[in-house]
Amino acid sequence: MLVAASLLCAGAAFPAMAQDGRRVTVSGEISDTWCSISGLMFAKGTAHHQCAVWCALGGIPVSIRDAKGDLYLILKIGDDEDSVANPRIARMATHEVTVDGELLERDGVKYLLVDRIADDKGVITMTHDEHGIQPFGN
Amino acid sequence: MARATRLAIFWTIAVLGAGSPALAAEPWGIPHEKPLVLKGRVVDALCHLTKRCVPDCGGGKRQLGVVQADGSFRLVAKGNVDFAAAVPDLIGFCGKEIEADGLLIENPAITLFFVQGVRAAGSSEPFVAAERFKTEWEARNGKAEEWWRADPEANRILAEDGPLGIKGLTPKPKP
Repeated sequence: MLVAASLLCAGAAFPAMAQDGRRVTVSGEISDTWCSISGLMFAKGTAHHQCAVWCALGGIPVSIRDAKGDLYLILKIGDDEDSVANPRIARMATHEVTVDGELLERDGVKYLLVDRIADDKGVITMTHDEHGIQPFGN
Repeated sequence: MARATRLAIFWTIAVLGAGSPALAAEPWGIPHEKPLVLKGRVVDALCHLTKRCVPDCGGGKRQLGVVQADGSFRLVAKGNVDFAAAVPDLIGFCGKEIEADGLLIENPAITLFFVQGVRAAGSSEPFVAAERFKTEWEARNGKAEEWWRADPEANRILAEDGPLGIKGLTPKPKP
């Protein structure tokens, strides 16, 4: 009851637009969402790893970018619902992963509630020879 | 776009943005961007979408967004500090109506809002630049010209895994 009261006081209340998602398996590279869409730098693989760590720890939402270029924005992993500056997620920056979870699509965003990381290949896309270390060089 | 051109744009934006009062959204030349004053209620994304709610919109640990009058939800992904989000700028408005001056980026891959200034709804005060991340970071870690290079957690991760994310793999020295 105390929690419910706190939620109401905080104005978070209970969302009117909550929805059920659908089960999905998503494979792709973990990357910060900002660099992926801003076009300000090359945002893939080893060249982007350092930048992606910084952005993730700066609280920028982290997504999985699949082979088609679609972005799946991660709101939780397992029981861990911290999606801002979570060191666990930052450590997976630019890793190639496969995850199982629930997909919620809303107003142009694919939100992903990850249940489990089925596979983590680490960083496998070698881009630094061509692109250096983004965005400032070494 | 050539790497040199992208870097030039990045630095121009960083220099201009640092001195800007953020009174109106500044275009960044990002594909699909549209200057916009976003109006609505600040909510925690996970709570809004799934009913998995915690007090105070997660206290800064959950992604935040704005629910507009028509019910649409805009995730606020970025603030006015390099490499940083706007959660510190919005968390104090949890559950409240705001006006957020920024850029709506409707990329086919994802739609996000980049906020440059925030104020309470209906306020006649100027927008407050969305730079609270740096203030809070410096309160925890001390002054730094580039927070990202001085961040203890980032440095721990990069020291362990290397700047390329693969232990033992180092970049070639510059010629």
